[in-house]
Amino acid sequence: MFAAMIGLLVFLWGLAVPLSAAPAPIGPAAGQFVEGARVTVWLTLIAGSVGVLIGIIAGLGKLSRFRPWRWFCDTYVWLIRGTPLLLQILFVWLVAPTVLPAGFDLSDFACAAIALSLNVGAYNTECVRAGILAVPHGQIEAAHALGLTPWQTFLDVVLPQSMRVALPALANNLASLVKDSSLAYAISVVELTMVGYRVQAESYQPVPVFITIAAIYLILTTAFTTLTAALEAQLAVGQKR
Amino acid sequence: MNQPPPASRPIIEARRVNKHFGAFHALKDVSATFNPGQVTAIIGPSGSGKSTFLRTLNRLETHDSGEIIIDGIELNSNLKNLDAIRREVGMVFQNFNLFSHLSILRNVTLAPMRVRKMSRSDAETKARQLLERVGLANQAEKYPLQLSGGQQQRVAIARALAMDPKVLLFDEPTSALDPEMVNEVLTVMRELAYSGITMLVVTHEMGFAREAADRIVFFDEGVILEDSTPEAFFSNPAHPRARTFLSQVRHGF
Repeated sequence: MFAAMIGLLVFLWGLAVPLSAAPAPIGPAAGQFVEGARVTVWLTLIAGSVGVLIGIIAGLGKLSRFRPWRWFCDTYVWLIRGTPLLLQILFVWLVAPTVLPAGFDLSDFACAAIALSLNVGAYNTECVRAGILAVPHGQIEAAHALGLTPWQTFLDVVLPQSMRVALPALANNLASLVKDSSLAYAISVVELTMVGYRVQAESYQPVPVFITIAAIYLILTTAFTTLTAALEAQLAVGQKR
Repeated sequence: MNQPPPASRPIIEARRVNKHFGAFHALKDVSATFNPGQVTAIIGPSGSGKSTFLRTLNRLETHDSGEIIIDGIELNSNLKNLDAIRREVGMVFQNFNLFSHLSILRNVTLAPMRVRKMSRSDAETKARQLLERVGLANQAEKYPLQLSGGQQQRVAIARALAMDPKVLLFDEPTSALDPEMVNEVLTVMRELAYSGITMLVVTHEMGFAREAADRIVFFDEGVILEDSTPEAFFSNPAHPRARTFLSQVRHGF
């Protein structure tokens, strides 16, 4: 896991070197590609972590005994899964300035991060819920019988056990998120895909530009899936094979 | 308070306890008291309410009516009382229910560290002593699924003992075990029975009930039909249903 993290950083740091050595349409724009890749990674990291938090909270919410809260979480998942992500990004971007107090300005990047977090959070909700339902009831009874409070039971027993069930599905959502973040170009966030558009518009050479973009996305998703696979291996400890 | 000295006070008092599962009346006005240090075997046919009764004593099942008082604290919806009671009452389950994501050592140290706020090193020292006591000192770093059923159940006993409970509840502790592993668990339980801890054991092991218990409680259809000593119960059961039950299980001992 640590190695994958370092790999991702080294990749971002050193990306400019091979790119600037490339021929015409790519080489001169190396700086832009690196900047775009960084924005994509930031969007993924922020929306990915917030999305996991939302997933845990809403996943628990869907299992809550408190009906209004359960209903709220159901509606959230229903709304997000039932509408296109592009629409959600545009919606946040268009609505945020009208509902926020004057003087409080939300950047395009922040709007994209919020919309992506809400989106991946809805998909994570179902994964987390499945994970929690997979924890045998006897584990919870044992924790209660030992005197652990409901909160301790959740943190020490239910959450770690549900995560090892939910993780493969969460990793899937994270891999989608890397690519879904490209839709942020619609609200003029200069991420990787946006950079591609700009460079090919200037150079009139779309094919090499998009091949470069695709290669960078591939490397990014590989880094993220390596990260989650390592995490999975760490959580699988003590499990039957 | 003008209460009698603790030694003579029953540690568990159940008065007219009722429990329903839907239309099924699982416990019917069950009353019983248990004294400190007593080892009670609770026996009876399946579905007779013996496990349900045991599980109401630490509120894994809530009772519908009646009173349960444990070590002077009433068991009710008051969470403070419940926490206090669960700290004093340990439980060993039929299916062990060890925390599968934690090592054996962490299984035993978790509750003392979280509930009793013990330091990690104190909790580990204690856990290793308890694992030694149940004969598993060399398995501390393994995970539950790497152990046999009998070993897992002995860890579960050590885990319950780590909280220094005044009462230990056993819910059919040997029923999920392969026959050759039953004895290693019974040996540990026998040793505990002589150590002076209060034990309530729901069991089908008549041999254990006969030799290690001080008292036999026989359940049938949600009521306690007989409450006597092992000698009296096994040689001359008073109730016809107890006689039928004994003739059905009387094989191999």
